[in-house]
Amino acid sequence: MDFSLNQEQEMFRNYVRKYLDDVGQTKVAREFTEGNTSSFQALYAGLAELGCASVNVSEENGGMGLGQLDLVPILEETGRALLPGLYLETNALAVPLLERFGTEEQKAKYLSAIASGEHTFTVAWLEPSGNYKPSNVKLSGTLQDDVLTLNGVKSLVPDVELANSLLVLVRTSEGQGAEGISLVIVDCDDVSLQVQPQKNMDETRLLAEVTFNNVQVSSQQILGTIDHGWDVLQEGLLSFNAALCSSIVGSMEKIVETAVEYANIREQFNQPIGRFQAIKHRLVDMKMDLETARSLAYYANWAIESDAADKVEAVSSARLFATEAFIKVASQSIQIHGGIGFTEEIDCHLYVKRARFYENYLGSTQQYYEQAAVALGW
Amino acid sequence: MDFSFTKKEEQFRQELRTWLEANLPDGWLQGEVQLDKESKEYELFLRDWQKKLYEGGWAAIAWPKQYGGRNATLMEEIVYQQEMVRVKAPPLINYVGLHMVAPTLMQIGTEEQKEKYIEKIITGEEVWCQGYSEPNAGSDVAAIQTTAVKDGDRWIINGQKVWTSFGHVADRCFLITRTSRLEKKHKGITVFLLDMHQPGVETRPIVSMDGQKDFNEVYLNDAIAYDAEIIGQVDEGWKVIIALLMHERTGIGGQVFTLEQQFNDLVALAKELNDEDEPLIKNPFIRKTMVDLYTRSRGSLLNYYRNLTKQLKNGHPGAESSMDKLLVSELTKELFAQAISMQGHHGVLWKENALMDRSYWQDNYLYSFGQTIGGGTSEIQKNTIAERILGLPKDMGR
Repeated sequence: MDFSLNQEQEMFRNYVRKYLDDVGQTKVAREFTEGNTSSFQALYAGLAELGCASVNVSEENGGMGLGQLDLVPILEETGRALLPGLYLETNALAVPLLERFGTEEQKAKYLSAIASGEHTFTVAWLEPSGNYKPSNVKLSGTLQDDVLTLNGVKSLVPDVELANSLLVLVRTSEGQGAEGISLVIVDCDDVSLQVQPQKNMDETRLLAEVTFNNVQVSSQQILGTIDHGWDVLQEGLLSFNAALCSSIVGSMEKIVETAVEYANIREQFNQPIGRFQAIKHRLVDMKMDLETARSLAYYANWAIESDAADKVEAVSSARLFATEAFIKVASQSIQIHGGIGFTEEIDCHLYVKRARFYENYLGSTQQYYEQAAVALGW
Repeated sequence: MDFSFTKKEEQFRQELRTWLEANLPDGWLQGEVQLDKESKEYELFLRDWQKKLYEGGWAAIAWPKQYGGRNATLMEEIVYQQEMVRVKAPPLINYVGLHMVAPTLMQIGTEEQKEKYIEKIITGEEVWCQGYSEPNAGSDVAAIQTTAVKDGDRWIINGQKVWTSFGHVADRCFLITRTSRLEKKHKGITVFLLDMHQPGVETRPIVSMDGQKDFNEVYLNDAIAYDAEIIGQVDEGWKVIIALLMHERTGIGGQVFTLEQQFNDLVALAKELNDEDEPLIKNPFIRKTMVDLYTRSRGSLLNYYRNLTKQLKNGHPGAESSMDKLLVSELTKELFAQAISMQGHHGVLWKENALMDRSYWQDNYLYSFGQTIGGGTSEIQKNTIAERILGLPKDMGR
């Protein structure tokens, strides 16, 4: 029995933590919310230099060839700092999908570029009136000879301005259900996309509506089999959600630390407020949620790495617990900080906004409840 | 990360399984053994089970071999608890003796005390209870009022204890008393190994809300204890109390595994109960609640594994066990509450009229209210976590 990260993973965490401390932790995220995306780019390059971008890319494609669990310390640390950008989408979604379903050409084209930190992916899934059901994938892809022509609109596409490629869910055959949907890689440099930014409560992330107007890509850009992209994406989402949980754990950890620190120094009625059980017990509830989320997230990532039989229920339950706990803990922290917590001056609000961003990101909490129930055979 | 058990641990599991198959009381696994919990017959049944465990070498596996234990590793203790939960083994009547008193005696008892008590604890010849709580000293243990006054080589003890589990069947009591009034209330406490079979000791059962008489009030009217029955030093009993509390570690693991098994029973119940010709488990509201309970019980098991890993690496238990206890006892309450809700109005039927499983759900629901109080209330666990894990200041008044 050993339910912990190994020494190398913890050592790697220290490098990442130290690097993020040196650049001021959430300082970069704050600059990002003010429209300065260049300081973020430098930080991402620094992380890539440490090896963060290449950790889970296979060795033959220029990576370190490590597993899902090796992402955990990086994700926890970047979650603490509310790192903007597409690290999760690139390394926890695109990389596992490319490794598993990519053609040799696709692997050669994208993986080494990802490993060197030069290439990022985003996801174009939702459509303006839609939800996360397959029936709402309406953007059409018409295949003629070897060219796929895309027409339609995607909404809430994260950080498309920072992305080199998009994973686009495309309807390539008639039908309402999961059949007939393909997952297509669209390279931003090769095509012309109309991008309309959408105001987002979480200003550490950019959202946009993206219009595909006769956008043509080669059929070689389909990831996995044509018309079966839904299943491919579902597989990728398992890795993604496990990783997302670890990012959330990092954020929650930082919140609890900050709130405890504040409760120790802030005095009212001649006492540190942390002496009052009303505050103290609230902090304990937050800590309990944090540690439970961490255990569930560790296990989910382990289940992915070892392809465990219970990986679907492990990931979906971790995901629904973590997203809900994140909102709860981030909100409690504002209450503990009192008036100052309600201002833009300190970081509290940034975590609440990020928590709401993740709540229904690439799948809703309700869906994950149902997915867990089905996986449990209920 | 590695969730597997070693070959040696699996062998240990197999050995225990084989023993349990041969030695569990006849009809136990089939649920045929039904005894009135308040009867003398039940007490004898439990004492007999304790003796059987001892004879098989399974009474106190964590104890050193010299005292009849197996020097079991922490992982073997886990396997042991998993297996005991799996067969829903009869409860241990001498839980206090085995898990708290004897390990404390081994640590700080005199040679004479070890000789006199330890063997009788493991065989079940002497059942122990714990004399901690008093009407005005529950969570605040140091507020005890029971006094012990020296009289030659004897001590005269007066006072009242409450919530004394097993008090009515116990032969001896691990009794804390006040022997001096000093400035600090943690000073001046002395612990006695009290003989319960004497005229000055009277127990009166307390009926708990589940209708059981598991615990008692204990009245001490000029009860007598001797110098040789003091454990540790006079007035320095607080250290003994802390030492004893440190030995409670194994209890938590058992609760985590019991919760897991109870959750599986709850799933079976949700599949068995119908709502308009469909099993309740198909109802969206029930599904959500059940997944939520699944997630949190799974989380509590995994938390426990993570704390266990830490303990295996550090070699000693930490304050994290308070987190495990808090989570598990609160979840247990929610789990049984859900079981009552799911039965609809039939959920209020009790005892022989209960709808199903011979009142298992109703009894456990009522019993569960005690679990967030006994063994340290949830509020006390939260204080411990806040102060020892989060580093927050101590409560006012302490």
